[in-house]
Amino acid sequence: MEKKIEIKICIGTLCYVMGGSELQLLAEHLPEKFKKRVDIIGSTCLDYCLDQEKYGKAPFVEINGEVMAEASINKVIDYLIKKY
Amino acid sequence: MNTRKNFIDIDHYQLNKNKNVVCGDVFLSKKIKEEGKIIAVLSDGLGSGIKANVLATMTASMALNFTSNNSPIQHTAEIISNTLPIDSERQISYATFTIIDIDYDSETKIINYDNPDFLLLRNQKFIPIPENSIEINILGKNKKMYSFDFKIQKEDRIIVFTDGVSQSGIGNTNMAFGWGIDNVKIFIIDLINKYKFISSHDLAKKIVNQANNNDILKPRDDISCAVLYFREPRKLLICTGPPFNKFDDNKLGSIIKKYNGKVIISGGTTSQIVSRLFNKEIHVGLTLDHSGLPPIAKMEGIELVTEGILTLGKVSEILQNINTTEVNGEGAAVEIIKNIFNNDIIEFVVGTKINNAHQDPNLPVELEIRRNVVKKIIKILEEKFLKEINLHFI
Ligand code: FES
Repeated sequence: MEKKIEIKICIGTLCYVMGGSELQLLAEHLPEKFKKRVDIIGSTCLDYCLDQEKYGKAPFVEINGEVMAEASINKVIDYLIKKY
Repeated sequence: MNTRKNFIDIDHYQLNKNKNVVCGDVFLSKKIKEEGKIIAVLSDGLGSGIKANVLATMTASMALNFTSNNSPIQHTAEIISNTLPIDSERQISYATFTIIDIDYDSETKIINYDNPDFLLLRNQKFIPIPENSIEINILGKNKKMYSFDFKIQKEDRIIVFTDGVSQSGIGNTNMAFGWGIDNVKIFIIDLINKYKFISSHDLAKKIVNQANNNDILKPRDDISCAVLYFREPRKLLICTGPPFNKFDDNKLGSIIKKYNGKVIISGGTTSQIVSRLFNKEIHVGLTLDHSGLPPIAKMEGIELVTEGILTLGKVSEILQNINTTEVNGEGAAVEIIKNIFNNDIIEFVVGTKINNAHQDPNLPVELEIRRNVVKKIIKILEEKFLKEINLHFI
């Protein structure tokens, strides 16, 4: 079976106040074809917020280990469509 | 500070007379930390509604203040009764009261003026306490009140209620004269046999609800009950914030490991530290609830894991706005508060490392300094909810 795509949503304080709270609804918005292929998990602070010059702005999401800054539901979905 | 070996869990529950918006019974309690004293007063004002509430509030607060200042009880009773406003219809001024005064050495004095007798429950039995009658002069008339002295013991419960409880159900075919103290006692013994460690809040609520049932859910009078339960304290540790110094992470770990009580971790980074030290995974739930707070996480061996600063801010806000230990709603802050109310001694270990990412002036909300939020919470818990608090910074 194909390995699942792992999406880690940061629910640390900073990401949360910067809009990460909405990301918790990601699962509901995923296009049908990704629903079974994706594993969504929550995470405490991923530490990217401590170096925003390097990583960009919160909220952060990690998709198969790659960081995405200023993440939003649409941004994550666009990325999935392009990449997978 | 005098710390008593045993803790007193004090709570009360009340229902208003049918259709009244305020209760004519008032219960107040106070802990005087320096002297290790606890004082509680239950007063039932004449009649019901606002007038009764004013009478009972005045009575209870005067009784509480005079007793805290160690003024002689006879004097207190006379001053109270002679200062209350006089009812224009009935030309009397009147509110009953029961004063409970427990000192650090467990010496207990109870004064009752016209409330139903208090109950002392010890080892599943009611213990009779000999009474002394005291004559007082109220508006030129001689009246009697009763005083009781005894030493309270571990696992004792003192139960007081207004006549709304003992006279509930008057006129029902099965209880022409009301529920009556003897039946209230049987009801309580049944409950205690079933729930040996029932909290004061739950016991008071069950008694009041039964009285309400006797009145067929339309209380004929205000119904109030208060319980003081003298027991081994239940302890809760709340850890929030990473230690100032990285070397102290281990110290935090050992505090948690050695703790003989429940543990809450409030803070993402703090929970990561603990997770690393104990080699236990953090499972973050992704459930959006109505609280608007980051979700609750789970870690083996820890009662509750939450986000830190937003959640504690909400805890402080909720505590500020409630006056009873009934909390409704969902989310991390409500869960923390429920845990606090279920415990007697609350210990905070506050890490003082500042999270630089939180200091960004461009954030959409201002993130308070952890220490200050915790201090606010502690103040409310001590003053409003009489909790015993210990605070350590790390
Ligand atoms: S809070 Fe999300 S990376 Fe720190």
